[in-house]
Amino acid sequence: MAFLEIKNLRKRFGDNEVLKGIDFSMEKGEVISVIGSSGGGKTTFLRCLNFLEKADEGEFFIENTLLFDAKALYTDTEIREKRLSFGLVFQSFHLFPQYTTLQNVLIPLNLRTFEREGVKRLPFRKRRVAKAEITERNRQKAMEILKSVGLESKINEYPCHLSGGQCQRVAIARALALSPSILCFDEPTSALDPELTGEVLRVIKELKNEGRTMIIVTHEMEFARFVSDRVVFMADGVIEESGTPSEVFDNPKSPKTKAFLASYQESF
Amino acid sequence: MESYMSFSYITLLLLEGFGKTFLLFFLTLFFSLPLGLVVSFGSMSKIKPLQYVTRIFVWIIRGTPLMLQLFVVFYVPGILFDVQLFNGVNGRFTAALVAFVINYACYFSEIYRGGIEGIPHGQYEAGQVLGMTKPEIFFRVILMQVVKRILAPISNEVITLVKDTSLARVIAVAEIFYQNENYILSKGVVWPLFYIGVFFLIFVGGLTLLFNYLEKKLSYYRV
Repeated sequence: MAFLEIKNLRKRFGDNEVLKGIDFSMEKGEVISVIGSSGGGKTTFLRCLNFLEKADEGEFFIENTLLFDAKALYTDTEIREKRLSFGLVFQSFHLFPQYTTLQNVLIPLNLRTFEREGVKRLPFRKRRVAKAEITERNRQKAMEILKSVGLESKINEYPCHLSGGQCQRVAIARALALSPSILCFDEPTSALDPELTGEVLRVIKELKNEGRTMIIVTHEMEFARFVSDRVVFMADGVIEESGTPSEVFDNPKSPKTKAFLASYQESF
Repeated sequence: MESYMSFSYITLLLLEGFGKTFLLFFLTLFFSLPLGLVVSFGSMSKIKPLQYVTRIFVWIIRGTPLMLQLFVVFYVPGILFDVQLFNGVNGRFTAALVAFVINYACYFSEIYRGGIEGIPHGQYEAGQVLGMTKPEIFFRVILMQVVKRILAPISNEVITLVKDTSLARVIAVAEIFYQNENYILSKGVVWPLFYIGVFFLIFVGGLTLLFNYLEKKLSYYRV
């Protein structure tokens, strides 16, 4: 079985069935781009993976163990735990505006480390010492990650003073800090000015070189072709076609894929 | 006659009344600011009956005069249940405080609700995908942004409260107007009435400076 295996994922909003039985699998270290026109269910697919939407049907397996089954009932705590297998980078960043770059990365990481190491159960005085120790350790980690996305000079800046590209790189760093098994991107460059997309795409490229497992929903066809191991074309709530970039882009089999790619090229 | 009509005598007298005014103001804020948050949670609750009850309560409190509420709190327990909840000077003050706290909590709750509902949904979702618990999302992510958004309407409400305290006079709480009427107006002197205005102006001026300072303090980020 593959590293991540998704079986028969379905999601409807009222009468509108957005995902009509998605079967999806990926290997560790693989980078998969998901393309398709708006309304095809790409974003909903990512949101279901990250439990922002509750799937109506379907099962998720990671490394052969059942992570999520839509038929089962999970508590909030269980869902939070499961969620940490995935990271999500949003189209419009959603950085916390009241925190600096470093705090944006450090605070979520700290909260989870405190919880994992049971800081709350310690007596009050020990708690402070433990928190300080963890914070110091996490600060090192956060700094390293921020350095790797090229933002070490911006650690004390607030998001309102950063460019869109820089914000998105902070958001990537923030997601990476929690060490997710699979990092998801929801149109990471769609909210950016064209001249700022490069810096974000470069970071994603570097992550691929480090062997990160990633799912990228994108409209950047050139980038998808260049960075992905596999490309998945989604239309009307199903996976219409999937294959290597050259298979999908150069020799699309499905008429819908052909039509989509054609309309895409027409715009130039 | 001359001795207790002097400027210094009247100043002291009004200061004494103003002390009560200030105490009422301060205690009202102290209780109603957090209580307002609780009320706002009620009016945003997913449990529909709780939401309706809270919203109807807020409607009643905001829809009736504060002066009426003062009378109700002070007199109704005695009339309906024959109990004297609020006895003596302190009792009157407590009754006024209860009425003010309830009234202002409802106004604050609507300001909080506006502030909380105005936070983009993405902030909650970002917190969720980072594995935060609901309280963590509220206290670590949302609250500070709400504070910044609601500072201006809150300052408005706080300044209104300064002047609303004079309503406590209707159940004979010895705040500044009560002091003025009982001891001074009865002697046929009018100028202390204007002098009271100076007390309020100075106090509100101070509050305005304080809120400007807070606003500046929070201007390091934009929401």
